[in-house]
Amino acid sequence: MAETQKLVIMVTHGPAEPELASIPFSMAGGALASDVDVVMGFQGDGCLLVKKGVADTVAAPGFTPLRELLPTIQELGGKILVCSPCCKSRGLTEADLLDGAEIVAAGRFVAEITSATNSLTY
Amino acid sequence: MSTVLTEADVAALCVAKVVDARGTGCPGPLLEAKKAMAGIAVGDVIELWSSDPQTKADVAAWAGKVGHGFLGAVAAQGYDRVLVRRAR
Repeated sequence: MAETQKLVIMVTHGPAEPELASIPFSMAGGALASDVDVVMGFQGDGCLLVKKGVADTVAAPGFTPLRELLPTIQELGGKILVCSPCCKSRGLTEADLLDGAEIVAAGRFVAEITSATNSLTY
Repeated sequence: MSTVLTEADVAALCVAKVVDARGTGCPGPLLEAKKAMAGIAVGDVIELWSSDPQTKADVAAWAGKVGHGFLGAVAAQGYDRVLVRRAR
């Protein structure tokens, strides 16, 4: 049986840039549909995308809106990790984030990336 | 079988499930195909409707990756009917 593959997708653009914010979710959806495990890492303004309610406002032409993609990604097992200092500097706590989102530090990101088949950064 | 199907080809396939993903953006059709596969038996066929002209090639690549059988597509009025057989 083929070994499970894992893709780590780092997201650094926020709602102010809808296309760059949408592409990583599209890639995550494609990977999960292809039976590839997905970990999404949110840093910088990317953290704002997983603040409750924000994804409802982000849509780019040609892409499935985030309000539809994000729940599907979580439903299919995609993990959401959010940068701890980035949250702190934006006044975000785990209570502000989507259910299932986990605030982590650099060590966890490094562990996920170095154990992944590949990683993408947007 | 060619990837360009005829109406007769489709009629002969005994489609188990039709999935209407018209109007959805990337990667909507692919996610709909994945969900549909979970609801049919191995050996059955889904017919995915998509208004995105890239879907045919995308589904062919996806099927190859996950081990399903891409049967081809037939053009309809403003959309494609893409046929995939569940193989595992």
